[in-house]
Amino acid sequence: MSDHLPIFVFVSPFLAAICMPLIGLNNPGRCRPVALTALGTMFLLSVATLWRILGHGEIRYAFSGWAPPAGIEWVADEIAAIMVVVLSALAFLCLLHTGRETDTELGSRTVPYHAILLTLVSGLTGIVFAGDLFNIFVFLEIAALSGYALVGVSGGRALVSAFRYLIMGSLGASFYLLGVSYFYMATGTLNMADLAQRIPDLLHSKAVIGGLSFMFIGLGIKMALMPLHGWLPDAYTEAPDSVSPLLASLVTKIATLAWIRILYRVLAAGSSDTSLEIIGLLWVVGSLAAVAGSLLALTQQDLKRRFAYGGLAHIGLVLVGVGQGNQTGLAGGLFYLINDAVMQCLLFILVGVIARRYGARTLDDLGRIQLPPPWIITGFVVAAISMIGLPPTGGFFGKWYIVLSAIEKENYVAVAAVLVTTLLTMAYFMQVLERMLRGGQTGPSAQKIETPLQLRLSTGVLSAAIIGLGLWSDRVVQVLLQATSQLGL
Amino acid sequence: MIESRHDSVIVRHLGGGLIPLVQIFALYILFFGQHGPGGGFVGGVMMGTSFILGILVFGPTDRSTVVAKRVAEADGVGLIIFAAVGGLCLIGGGQFLNYAELEIPGLAAPSRRYLGILLTQIGVAVDIAVTAVSIVFSLSVVSGNGDSHV
Repeated sequence: MSDHLPIFVFVSPFLAAICMPLIGLNNPGRCRPVALTALGTMFLLSVATLWRILGHGEIRYAFSGWAPPAGIEWVADEIAAIMVVVLSALAFLCLLHTGRETDTELGSRTVPYHAILLTLVSGLTGIVFAGDLFNIFVFLEIAALSGYALVGVSGGRALVSAFRYLIMGSLGASFYLLGVSYFYMATGTLNMADLAQRIPDLLHSKAVIGGLSFMFIGLGIKMALMPLHGWLPDAYTEAPDSVSPLLASLVTKIATLAWIRILYRVLAAGSSDTSLEIIGLLWVVGSLAAVAGSLLALTQQDLKRRFAYGGLAHIGLVLVGVGQGNQTGLAGGLFYLINDAVMQCLLFILVGVIARRYGARTLDDLGRIQLPPPWIITGFVVAAISMIGLPPTGGFFGKWYIVLSAIEKENYVAVAAVLVTTLLTMAYFMQVLERMLRGGQTGPSAQKIETPLQLRLSTGVLSAAIIGLGLWSDRVVQVLLQATSQLGL
Repeated sequence: MIESRHDSVIVRHLGGGLIPLVQIFALYILFFGQHGPGGGFVGGVMMGTSFILGILVFGPTDRSTVVAKRVAEADGVGLIIFAAVGGLCLIGGGQFLNYAELEIPGLAAPSRRYLGILLTQIGVAVDIAVTAVSIVFSLSVVSGNGDSHV
């Protein structure tokens, strides 16, 4: 039975999503508990999947019983299982932290909101597990379509951002699909394992090179890689406060994971006999994105926008690690990806709370409000320490492995890029912290604003997770190293 | 905006005769999909079209289009059928959607596959029809402040 775990992980949010219109038909208030239950179940199942995979190796799941090259296959390896655990936990906490406020804010949109949120989560799960290129496209679209709807769910200005996101996202998906069709034309198969056997002989074919370029551009838009990031800052800034943590922490990260998977699983980018320049390109693009993203973040007044640009820089850092083409870099990049998801989630939850409860959306507003309660300050400081990359948080160890891999490769430009990014990140966080802490002394002594239990729970768990990922970083990295060792590095 | 029934008595009478025929043909296409061209998607589109035709001819408030309205509320039913077939296959010990293991007692493997594909097609058809109808409702039959059909 444990071989079927990946499908159960997928079905629990998906089933809840498709039942949502019926559940909320008479009483929309029922949607929230059902959605939370589904995500909680999904978390437990994904932990079970991870346990099973760590004990018995990866699960290859052939749908309908058709053998892989002809049928559809899901591959649940260690990386996928860890990612799904992170995904389900973050989705649960994102939904939990807002409390019942979303229901009253959204009004008649409550039912579709919960249905679409769960569809987004199941789409992302599908991308993580998918074992062939076309299914990555299908789930990419499911997740993206839900993303557009979620950005625009509050109406008004958000609709413009959602429309922009829709145009850019559809362009990205089309580019990706075009790339997939080129691959199919050259090889006659879409299954990743099957492709991996046929691609090495075809790497000089123009169809494969063209397809690869299209895929990279398409997924580059999806992962908001500088300079293809145009849609992201607006979408994150205008999205409702309950949605932007989910988008910021998961959507771009999962697209990045899909690209890493294609590079290493299909193209065998790590092995020395394939002279693939794209790996070299990756760290250059990543370094540029990291430095430029942090610089742009420094100039932003709006808090959400500032951290959205910060997120762009962190995607760049992941690619710097992955682009070194050695095992340390790949494991470090993946570890940083996981950390970044948790950090962004906490950061956007806190920014959303500060905006909603204190009305502070920009840097100047921060100086005017009263000192937020210790829960928020502590969470913010933990997130800041991790984003900057100081021990004992996960962010430090992620950067550590990325820098190590660059030194291993004697790639000092990449080392410099990571260090400059660190300094810039410190600069833009110091500005925020300085305003936030100084504001408390001069601000008006307004009425005490209480922090609800579920908010304390989410920020507490996420802060603990950031520190925990740091303290137990060697274990997680060991698992990732073991997982990446099969990729021929 | 569709507000009331069609003005012309000819359209109304012809529509009344045509819609059931379209629906029967849609069902035929759906079940014939097992043996030849056709199947859930096409059958579902035709079924949806017949409902849309009903709304255009008799107006969204007519008693005969009540079904179409209720249908639009049951967005996920087709997918639920689909997931249920997949789940029955899991219970039978096979992979998700492995029809050979469809857990329905008293059936041999070939008829299980037949039934499995048919049920999945019905699920697809319901979903397509509902989607078509709900697109029409959300684009043209806007009621109140436009908030109800988001």
